[in-house]
Amino acid sequence: MNEPILSIKNAVKRYGPVNALDGVNLDVAEGEFLTLLGPSGSGKTTLLSAIAGFIALDEGQLALRSADITGKPPEHRDFGMVFQGYALFPTMTVRENVGFPLKIRKRSASEIEKRVNEALEMVQMSAFADRMPSQLSGGQQQRIALARAMSFDPQILLLDEPLSALDKKLRADLQWELKDLHQKLGVTFIYVTHDQDEALSMSDRIVILKDGAIQQEGDPNTLYDQPRNRFVADFLGKSNFLEAAVVAGSGASFQCETKGAAFTLDTQTPCREGETITLALRPERLRLGLPGEEFVPGTVKQVSYLGERCQVLVTREGGDEFLVSRPTWKTDITPTPGLQVSIGWDADAPVVLAPA
Amino acid sequence: MHVSAFKIFFQTGAWLVIAFLVLPILVVLPISFTDTSYIGLPKEGLSLQHYANYFTDPDWLNATWTSVWVGLVVATCASVLGTAFAIGCWFLSDRAAMVARWILITPILVPPVVQSLGFYRFWVKLGLIDTHVGVILAHTLLALPYVSISVFAALSNLDRNLPRAARSLGASVMQTVWAVVVPAARPGIATGFIFAFIVSFDEIVGVLFITVRNVQTLPKMIWEGIQDNIDPTIAAVATLLIVLTLIATAIGVLRRT
Repeated sequence: MNEPILSIKNAVKRYGPVNALDGVNLDVAEGEFLTLLGPSGSGKTTLLSAIAGFIALDEGQLALRSADITGKPPEHRDFGMVFQGYALFPTMTVRENVGFPLKIRKRSASEIEKRVNEALEMVQMSAFADRMPSQLSGGQQQRIALARAMSFDPQILLLDEPLSALDKKLRADLQWELKDLHQKLGVTFIYVTHDQDEALSMSDRIVILKDGAIQQEGDPNTLYDQPRNRFVADFLGKSNFLEAAVVAGSGASFQCETKGAAFTLDTQTPCREGETITLALRPERLRLGLPGEEFVPGTVKQVSYLGERCQVLVTREGGDEFLVSRPTWKTDITPTPGLQVSIGWDADAPVVLAPA
Repeated sequence: MHVSAFKIFFQTGAWLVIAFLVLPILVVLPISFTDTSYIGLPKEGLSLQHYANYFTDPDWLNATWTSVWVGLVVATCASVLGTAFAIGCWFLSDRAAMVARWILITPILVPPVVQSLGFYRFWVKLGLIDTHVGVILAHTLLALPYVSISVFAALSNLDRNLPRAARSLGASVMQTVWAVVVPAARPGIATGFIFAFIVSFDEIVGVLFITVRNVQTLPKMIWEGIQDNIDPTIAAVATLLIVLTLIATAIGVLRRT
């Protein structure tokens, strides 16, 4: 990685006995679309507020292109920010809102005019320049907020759950637009969300936070395919968890056993013979077969039809439950509650999780 | 057509209540046109002599002018202070701000006589008795809560992320307040200004306690007029005030529709 545009070192923020940020280290690359993902209370918004300068860190440093900005007030950081509730100035027109950062910077009237027009063009809102924010829909307001945060060429654009107040359809449209905008402008985006779909669909890199600490970071693909621990495997997408004993094997291939069912495990994670490991299995990697076809026998408990996919909940003797997700076009088996089935998976499908 | 006794009872009651509310006010109207030199209903015919008296008597005009300018100064001071207070509380929005808000509205809760007694004791010490400054200070204190309450109301629905948005866009705290918060509070400030003016223009108890001869306001002059010379000019003044209020209200209603 080249010199990071933003570098966070050992960021700690305490609220009473709780550490909202518990020693976060993070480098953000120039031009990157970075997503901070986590459930509420994970510290993602606290981290964004600290980057923006709205809260002071108790410990740690922030550096913008190697220059320390830890104590710099927000107005001197030159970061654009987009909020969940849009935060447009209600007494100003759309044009005045977008021109606000330029007016504060004492740019000439002609430059403001030109830049505002460009910014509105960029978000396809030129026709609304003289409206008041209250006359616009949520999606339109968020576009204006985006134009306002971009009009002064900020170093970094911070986005705090910008789409979560919008309805599902609009959210999907705006996801594409945001990604498009990011590619066109090349500005660094730091995006906070609790929505895994948003994170997966837009980000170059995702940072998963829990209890103020980074759980795992990486590109969407790696995080989805190689979750490091149970939290990540469960939070990003759905996972089945399975305890298994390593019976034999070495290098990258092992023989494992779970409650009488034997299977082969191909993994790069080192395992030892006799050890009990926790595996994560994605529902779409599980195969459903008739009894005897696969190696884990079970009974169908519930079936949930989702259009393109169908989710089947299978109970194994001993109480374990498996969620199997299969394309609806597969008609070899018609799962109905009570049907005897069996489950199997490829040797490279399970991911060995770090012990909790 | 049969009208039930029930309906007659309540309609009569409603009209009685309206009469009770309005008659004491309306009674000044005929008195103001009386041709007698004391307070009473017209005898021989109608006369405008008491209106003429009001507009020519320097005492009445001076008292009116004093009430107006004191009211304007009070409204200005109370608007500035009350707005600053409300905006400060809006920024803090924590327990301390809530306590401060309750303390600020005590002038509305404490009986005027008690408060005036306090003003009197305190103003004697400060040498502010019978001065315009003393009246302005006392009235500003009384009017403050009205301003801050109406500004609070104007700010209550304002997005708390607005100051953050403004600052992330490059505005300092002061620029944020001027460019974003004050414009949003403007309707509340305007309402507060009018209320503050009315509070001061109308105030009598405090003025009676803390002024002697130097300061003469309109309410005090009316009060004293009733006490010693039963001059019908009082009725003329009262009628003028009623007409002014009606006109102001009518304009307000018309502008809204």
